[in-house]
Amino acid sequence: MQNAALLIVFLPLAGALIAGFFGRVLGERPSEVVTTAFLLLAAILSWWVFTQVGFGHAVFKVPVMRWITSGDLDVNWTLRVDTLTAVMLVVVTTVSSLVHLYSIGYMAEDDSRQRFFAYLSLFTFAMLMLVTADNLLQMFFGWEGVGLASYLLIGFWYKKPSANAAAIKAFVVNRVGDFGFALGIFGLFAVCGSINLDQIFGAVPALAGKPFEFLGYQVDTLTCLALLLFMGAMGKSAQFLLHTWLPDAMEGPTPVSALIHAATMVTAGVFMVARLSPVFELAPEALKFVTFIGALTAFFAATVGLVQNDIKRVIAYSTCSQLGYMFVACGVGAYTAGIFHLFTHAFFKALLFLGAGSVIHAMHHEQDMRNMGGLQKLIPKTWAMMLIGTLALTGVGIPGWIGFAGFHSKDAIIESAYAAHTPNNYAFWALVIAAFMTSFYSWRLMFMTFHQPARWGADHAVHDEHAEPATASDHAHDDHGHDHTPRESPLVMLVPLYGLAAGAVLAGVVFTKYFIGTGHGHGEADPYKAFWGPSITEGAHNHILHAMHEIPHWVGFAPFVAMLAGLGLAYVYYIRSPWLPAATARTFRPLYLFFLNRWYIDELYDFLFVRPAFAIGRALWKGGDGTVIDGTIDGTASTVGWFTGRAVRFQTGYVYNYAFVMLIGVAAILTYMIAGGVGR
Amino acid sequence: MPRYLVELAPLHSELILIIGAMVLLLWGAFRPETERQADIISWAAIGVLALAGIVLARQPLGNNTLFDGSFRFDAFARYVKMIVIISSAGALLLAPNDARRGKYLKFEYAVLLLLATAGMLMMISANDLISLYLSLELQSLALYVLAAFKRDDVRSSEAGLKYFVLGALSSGMLLYGASLVYGFTGATNFNDIAAVALTKGAGQNIGLIFGLVFLMVGLAFKISAVPFHMWTPDVYEGAPTPVTALFAAAPKAAAFALLTRVMITAFGGIKPQWQQIIIFLSIASMVLGAVAAIGQTNVKRLLAYSSIGNMGFVLVGLAAASPEGIEGVLIYLATYLVMTLGAFAVVLCMRRRSGPVEEIADLAGLATTNPGMAATMAIMMFSLAGIPPLAGFWGKYYVFLAAVKADLWPLAIIGVVASVVGAFYYIRIVIVMYVNDAKSGAENRFMRVPLRESTVMALACLITLLGFLPFPLRNGSLGDWIIATASAAARSLFG
Amino acid sequence: MTLAAAFFYLFAAITVASAFKVISAKNPVHAVLYLILAFFNAAGLFVLLGAEFLAMILVVVYVGAVAVLFLFVVMMLDVDFAQLRAGFMKNATLGFTVGMIVLAEIVFFVATQFLKPGALPAGLVRAAPIPQGITNTEALGRVLYTKYVYFFQGAGLILLVAMIGAIVLTLRHKPNVRRQNISEQNARTKSTAMDVIKVPSGGYNIPDKAAAKVAAE
Repeated sequence: MQNAALLIVFLPLAGALIAGFFGRVLGERPSEVVTTAFLLLAAILSWWVFTQVGFGHAVFKVPVMRWITSGDLDVNWTLRVDTLTAVMLVVVTTVSSLVHLYSIGYMAEDDSRQRFFAYLSLFTFAMLMLVTADNLLQMFFGWEGVGLASYLLIGFWYKKPSANAAAIKAFVVNRVGDFGFALGIFGLFAVCGSINLDQIFGAVPALAGKPFEFLGYQVDTLTCLALLLFMGAMGKSAQFLLHTWLPDAMEGPTPVSALIHAATMVTAGVFMVARLSPVFELAPEALKFVTFIGALTAFFAATVGLVQNDIKRVIAYSTCSQLGYMFVACGVGAYTAGIFHLFTHAFFKALLFLGAGSVIHAMHHEQDMRNMGGLQKLIPKTWAMMLIGTLALTGVGIPGWIGFAGFHSKDAIIESAYAAHTPNNYAFWALVIAAFMTSFYSWRLMFMTFHQPARWGADHAVHDEHAEPATASDHAHDDHGHDHTPRESPLVMLVPLYGLAAGAVLAGVVFTKYFIGTGHGHGEADPYKAFWGPSITEGAHNHILHAMHEIPHWVGFAPFVAMLAGLGLAYVYYIRSPWLPAATARTFRPLYLFFLNRWYIDELYDFLFVRPAFAIGRALWKGGDGTVIDGTIDGTASTVGWFTGRAVRFQTGYVYNYAFVMLIGVAAILTYMIAGGVGR
Repeated sequence: MPRYLVELAPLHSELILIIGAMVLLLWGAFRPETERQADIISWAAIGVLALAGIVLARQPLGNNTLFDGSFRFDAFARYVKMIVIISSAGALLLAPNDARRGKYLKFEYAVLLLLATAGMLMMISANDLISLYLSLELQSLALYVLAAFKRDDVRSSEAGLKYFVLGALSSGMLLYGASLVYGFTGATNFNDIAAVALTKGAGQNIGLIFGLVFLMVGLAFKISAVPFHMWTPDVYEGAPTPVTALFAAAPKAAAFALLTRVMITAFGGIKPQWQQIIIFLSIASMVLGAVAAIGQTNVKRLLAYSSIGNMGFVLVGLAAASPEGIEGVLIYLATYLVMTLGAFAVVLCMRRRSGPVEEIADLAGLATTNPGMAATMAIMMFSLAGIPPLAGFWGKYYVFLAAVKADLWPLAIIGVVASVVGAFYYIRIVIVMYVNDAKSGAENRFMRVPLRESTVMALACLITLLGFLPFPLRNGSLGDWIIATASAAARSLFG
Repeated sequence: MTLAAAFFYLFAAITVASAFKVISAKNPVHAVLYLILAFFNAAGLFVLLGAEFLAMILVVVYVGAVAVLFLFVVMMLDVDFAQLRAGFMKNATLGFTVGMIVLAEIVFFVATQFLKPGALPAGLVRAAPIPQGITNTEALGRVLYTKYVYFFQGAGLILLVAMIGAIVLTLRHKPNVRRQNISEQNARTKSTAMDVIKVPSGGYNIPDKAAAKVAAE
């Protein structure tokens, strides 16, 4: 099993190296086949490891190498495989392998597929490093690795300025969060003397409630550290204030959006909070903040999602919103519920993205939903898959019994949010309202894309600026001629959809009792405890998973009602009375614009950070560059040269000057001694 | 041995040098004035130095004072005298080849060098204001002449004259200070001065402080501490290169030993007062040495600023004013001597068919044209930059350690920053040698490295590279031995 | 005592004034003459202190030898002081300021240390003892070669170095300059001084052309 773990982690790396360095020699198809085959193998091994670890209760570590030893810092590169890791392994490798497979079809018209597949595999490797981390440095390595791969893949079409801008934006915004994460790691090392997870978990209970002094303020150590770590999670998981990069990241190829910006990388923050649950459990104030940010994000992203017209952006905001759900779960202590939602969400959101990709593919790289419609008949298989994804996302199911994947996990989160009794139950209500909006925009997407009358007839040639790049489009036109009729995607793209659809349907039903328990057994008897083993820690007073099963009945029905309401409203708006959306937008124009412009947060950042930064940069460039840098670069001169010039200027060669300097020195020393030196 | 000679045992090495100098002077005066003769006399002078060194090494320690306490021989004196004799011998070894080519090879060179060395040894043992002044003048006067030794060269004459005039000024200040100190303590002997300086309220005695300041100014001139350094670059550049090699090492060590003895022995009682001045000199020297060197294009000028900066680092150890600090000073001086001689041996070999060159740019591509020379220079530069495990690192390490132990954190931090800045120009030379391309053509090639120069280079490399590695000699490395000896020497000063 | 004080101030004032004139005189010869005046007054100060030997030495050595030598050198070299001072005057203001600061500080320390009664701790200042019953010269002679032999020999070495230096820097053996060599002259003997050269007999042998010229005149 240890070898299996090693293979899971290093097969993607091998694939990345082969495709990256030898891709040109091998050719495009072999590169695709190699990376995809390696990933599929890794996925199969992951499922096997998952069953072994989750149900065989085997937790193990695989030492890879000694990494860094410096003073107290002793870091070994070790793969840590427990249930939490195993779940993540399954999610990452499964979605990744399916995305690889899908990409063979989706990227068929691109010129540099080797590069694409190398990046994909590289990303997968980094993500696996992250989830198998046994210490924070390793986690940080993976954390930055996925950030890098994300940057590379968002900017994959590097000839497109918007893609480059989005890539840079993603990187920079993530850097803000990573800064906090790094500070958190430093802080943990400072207080625990180690960055190995086991040692940290052993050391933190002694630190609970101990404050330290900073600038005269008493700050609780663990709260501070947990908040810093959560700052990293906020960046990576696109939480409110640091979310701005995620919608822009849709500039990348759609499979990338599915893999990185829906199923795996963005969930790294949730994973990190769960992984460090022993730390967070001891910092209740930090958890309250996590809950608040999660609820706010869920609500905020859902409102923005209501009015977006780009099919991928709708799903992107949906992702943002769903990540908020997961953080609410973590914030109230229901880590397992958060991870469960992560698990199910990976399937249905990847399904939605890949489905959207299939639609875009069929529409010849058209992404604006206003130019779609009536596709149900033309691409029925894609429609069916999208329907399954939507049902899973909106959480369709019969309350208290059975439903699609999202039904089980999302309802569990909403119930736990209620059980946590946040002030005024704000978290619960925010999530329910978000669920309503989720339902509305999801069905809006379905209706606008598939059911409304087709709007892509004669004027389809006018491409929106969101369309994927010119090169690909040109190919598309050449290959397809000028036949504008959308066609169903090839089998290689549909098979992954089927796989993910299976997950979206079944993941909830099968795994509910293992992930979040039944609420019937108490203590160790509850199956979820046995399933998770020691990988998730819940505080001594944390009974949220029991409490969530003992809530009023109406709470269980609330998300169901919200879902139905959303569906109904969407039906009225987009099928029965298609003039209503425009009328509503007119009536509530300020609100509409507020949502459409994403709460003006980008504009705010532009005003607060980007423009001042540009202004400083320009000032430094025009003012500083000319006088300082130019001088420095031109032979380290200007600055040092100035001093040297000063020093050399005295070196006139005249003896009386030299004597004079000496006398000045004497006078200075004498004066100093009289003025202050003697009395002491 | 007659009784009076036995009683003068601590003075034997000086006597050997002086008598040797006189014998060689007479020999040279009465023999035909040929270059061969001059060469033989320089070898004989090296022999005299070696003999003095051997006698010195065999001289038993003890609290030896002579002439009513105006001459003092202790472990400190023996250690520094050894450094001085070795560097004088090294400088003398480097001289004849250059002198022959520069057409200034005369036997008086060796004689003056012996007399200067005798003066330095007397400085190191000086324990009285009068012996301080006399020995300082003996050494300085010989050095003024040596600086102007290439008398047909305008630059050399100019260097000698500048050095002389400014040296006279500094001597005047030193004498003024000495007379003030005498006036306010009624004594010229260091131990008697110390007794007064230790009395309560001596720190408020502004006359004594004035005397101290002027005394220190005179000595600071000799170690070329900023702002009394102005002569250094001009004299280093103008003087014949072997003389510069001598200037950079031996007189600096001697003057530093003298300064140390005056401060610790005579003025130990008013330490807080002089400590501030030393700190000021130290910071100014380190910073100016690092910054001004960057703009230099002439290798000798660069080494002049390097020696200014290095004296600043040594002053850090003195500023600590503790046995550890003095130990650092002594270790630094020993390593600095080796690096300086090695570097100057390379500079002496920068000679083309058309004559000697001194620009840094002339070193371009040396790694390909003369790898041995380039490697030597690189090792010396890295060592001067203080890169471990080379010898130069340890000197810096011990002085900074002492400064930190004496709670002189700011000084240590400025020192580290200055040595980082300094590393820039040292490493620039290495880059010029190893990265830049050599000018093509036979006329741009350096001439073959003579045997004496290559011997000095090889020894310097060996000591710099291996000296402080854990490389057992008999018991411990050379570095261990130096550190242990320096430690004992430093403690002898504190009695 | 009062007479001594009066002479002290007289000598001291003239010394300072003439020292100032040494550096300010336009004519270098005047400067050296002022220097001699300063030496004389310094000798007077020594006499007041009871150090008559030093006073005499100062007059004999400095005035009689060194200063006169200076005078010769200055007269022979024709140094243009105005030119030398041109650069010096550039920094005059700053130099004056620095000098004034040092002066003020010295005055300050004199004021605090000497003029205030009891400013100096007792026992800190010791006058140099004046030998009783013997002459200055004898007193110096007693210690110069015994207690201070080290200093004496050291001073001798300095003079030796100065001599070697002067020779090595200035002495030039020019091959085509004929010098008188007394020992060589004294060592002459008949055999070395005289050469007997055989001159062939047979009258003058004037070339034809020259002879014709002579004839024409």
